[in-house]
Amino acid sequence: MLRHRLFVTLSILMLAAMVLAACPAPVAPPAAAPLAEGEATWWRTAAESAGCVGVTLRGVSESTPPSNFAKDVLAPAFERDTGIKVELETTSWDQMYDKAIKDMEAGTGIYDFVYIEQDIIYAYLANNYLLNMTQFLADNPNLAAPDFDFGKFTTFIDYFKDAEGNVYGVPMEAFVKIYLYRTDLFGDPEAQAAFKEKYGYDLAPATNYEQYRDNAEFFTQWGKDRGLELWGTTVQAASGHPSSFYELFETILPSGGVYNWGINMENWKASVENGGTMNSDRAKAAFQFWLDMLQFAPPEATSSTWDEVAASFAAGRAAQGWVYGENAAWIASDPERSRVVGNIGVALPPLADESVLQDAEEGRGYIGYYDGGAFGIPVSSKHQACAVLWNQYIGQESVQADWAVAGSRVVMDSTFDDPKVQAMDEQTNGYFTLLKEKGYLFAGAPPFPFHATIREVIAPFVYRAIAGELSAADALDQAAAAVDAELPKLGYGE
Amino acid sequence: MRSNRLGWLLLSPSLIVLFIVGFLPFLYVIWVGFHDWNIFAATRGMSWAGANNYRRLVFDQDFLAALWRTLVFTFTVVTSELVLGFVLAQTLTRQFPGRAFFRTIYVLPLVVAPIAVGATWRLMVIPGFGPIPYFLERWFGIQYRIGTYAEHAWATAVLMDIWHWTPFVTLTLLAGLSAIPREPLEQAMVDGANRWQVFRYITIPMMMPVILTVVFIRIMDALRVVDEVYMLTNGGPGTATTLIGLHIFRVVFPKTDYGYGSAMSLLVLYVTIVMCWLLFVALANVGKQKA
Repeated sequence: MLRHRLFVTLSILMLAAMVLAACPAPVAPPAAAPLAEGEATWWRTAAESAGCVGVTLRGVSESTPPSNFAKDVLAPAFERDTGIKVELETTSWDQMYDKAIKDMEAGTGIYDFVYIEQDIIYAYLANNYLLNMTQFLADNPNLAAPDFDFGKFTTFIDYFKDAEGNVYGVPMEAFVKIYLYRTDLFGDPEAQAAFKEKYGYDLAPATNYEQYRDNAEFFTQWGKDRGLELWGTTVQAASGHPSSFYELFETILPSGGVYNWGINMENWKASVENGGTMNSDRAKAAFQFWLDMLQFAPPEATSSTWDEVAASFAAGRAAQGWVYGENAAWIASDPERSRVVGNIGVALPPLADESVLQDAEEGRGYIGYYDGGAFGIPVSSKHQACAVLWNQYIGQESVQADWAVAGSRVVMDSTFDDPKVQAMDEQTNGYFTLLKEKGYLFAGAPPFPFHATIREVIAPFVYRAIAGELSAADALDQAAAAVDAELPKLGYGE
Repeated sequence: MRSNRLGWLLLSPSLIVLFIVGFLPFLYVIWVGFHDWNIFAATRGMSWAGANNYRRLVFDQDFLAALWRTLVFTFTVVTSELVLGFVLAQTLTRQFPGRAFFRTIYVLPLVVAPIAVGATWRLMVIPGFGPIPYFLERWFGIQYRIGTYAEHAWATAVLMDIWHWTPFVTLTLLAGLSAIPREPLEQAMVDGANRWQVFRYITIPMMMPVILTVVFIRIMDALRVVDEVYMLTNGGPGTATTLIGLHIFRVVFPKTDYGYGSAMSLLVLYVTIVMCWLLFVALANVGKQKA
């Protein structure tokens, strides 16, 4: 009996040891620099005057490098300076929306601030979910922080304004979806010679679809011939997850000259026969190009969301790809997470033809996705004044540079000039320069209040095309017809 | 006559809680199911739709396909779990070296939340990162791709569910087996019955109430699986693993089509009740015939 008990106890201890061993040791996040004495006094006084000292603010955001910086660095600093505790829940993208929308729709007031991605703001504004920060600060001038000014932000803040120019969210991240490539592979003389021999022109980062395809094919074969775990491109093609919809509709179709998801915003129709472009020849060609890239992508591509794409690239499994800019900094600089440190280059995404760039230059279109988000305050929040203080705290100029280095995001023009950001710009081979100088060529999602609903109408057709159940052309034809049928039900295009 | 007042008094806290968190939301779902309601529509609020949502369901190919897929999934996993669970429960009634250790390890999946089960399996089977595709390709040359091949995703979802829930079936059946009196078994052996006959004519009939309970619980669970499959495949590739729970989740939450989603939920609840009732009647009749 004693032997039996000993055996059971040892088994349990062994299992516990295995579980504990699997848990990484906690790494202390870097602390935010302390504020000057006068500033610190202002924050404390403001928190006291608003009755916020001792209050706990609850927020929800997507688990991304910028959000994790807010949670690990800015929240403790804010508590230190104000006495207001911040509990920021960073979770998956879909859970974040699920929780935030339920809370705001029901008006339960669980969250005092929520992440508002640029593409969902129009739906939130239409539903009056958010606090008008401009109005609130005008009504409460004693709570307006000295180092906070809406005018310091880049034009990205315009996405979070209503028609009258009132601001409903403080931008906390903004970045573009870039074309990332491996400088070591593209710069390899042996690869360059082999490429030129096979394709008849110089190996270089792609500027158009044909070149991208050649690069992808070449490096896939290059990896195979050398027994390397290397493929020609990443593809964010998780069949079943909205990330594949987003790569197609916000990155690939615009680069093929199809904007605003192919929905005609004058009559709210998507199909060509009704004035839309969702199933136009250009859209079908761009979709087909993207689907063709799956043959040159790592095997995880059809299970890859935005996270796995970044992980694949960081693991050195792809020679080039479309990667969200928020990942550029850590892929380029963090040797603990990336195997391609010092070997990445950034460029504008490849385009179907030159007319797309011309459209973007002249304001008729855009070449890719300008992503980002803000922290907004639900009108149902029980601690609005305290949340306004938090939003201003994260919107100070002084916290922006470290945040940019940690999360490759820039929301203020002045951040580009910070020495820390310029050092990171060198490591990323010019990511921040590209963001600063070419950011205007990119655009956020179209202003659709029905964004999520219509995405869910279209996405199943994309999934089925990835799975090979539908051709690109059939998928877009059926998607366009489904959108034309759904929008009138929502009260658009009747 | 004895007063029931104390009994009702003691039950009342539970009944009140059940009424608030169970019955009222149920009534609300019925109410919403008769409305059109999408919070991102141009017109806010609910509008009366009568039986339109239910009429739509009958012609909704995606819904019907998801429902059929779920029925197949449920039949596959519940049958497998019952057979495996019975074999393991029988095995565990005997003494063998390492029995206690095995029993401890074996029930561990039960304490893991479904969402964590899905995440763990995803990490194990995702191509490029997971060990299972790596070793399958290296040792057997099998390209295991749950994001590409529907049959791989389906098999993985089924295996995951069996791995997660067979311990529950085993434990319940083991409790049932332990409660069977030894006398009828011994009498049958004395009368010359072999092991199979004892199992077929003594053990199975005596275990029938336990088997029924386990099957009902597992059917109800399997019909509403969402989180495990959501984490593992997100319903893909294509719609290969979009079970009805996941389909409803997508309609209700990301698509915010609350009215139609509520109608779907109610129909699935109805199907579940009917299935369980039919199964109960069928098994009860079998039991009566035996008697």
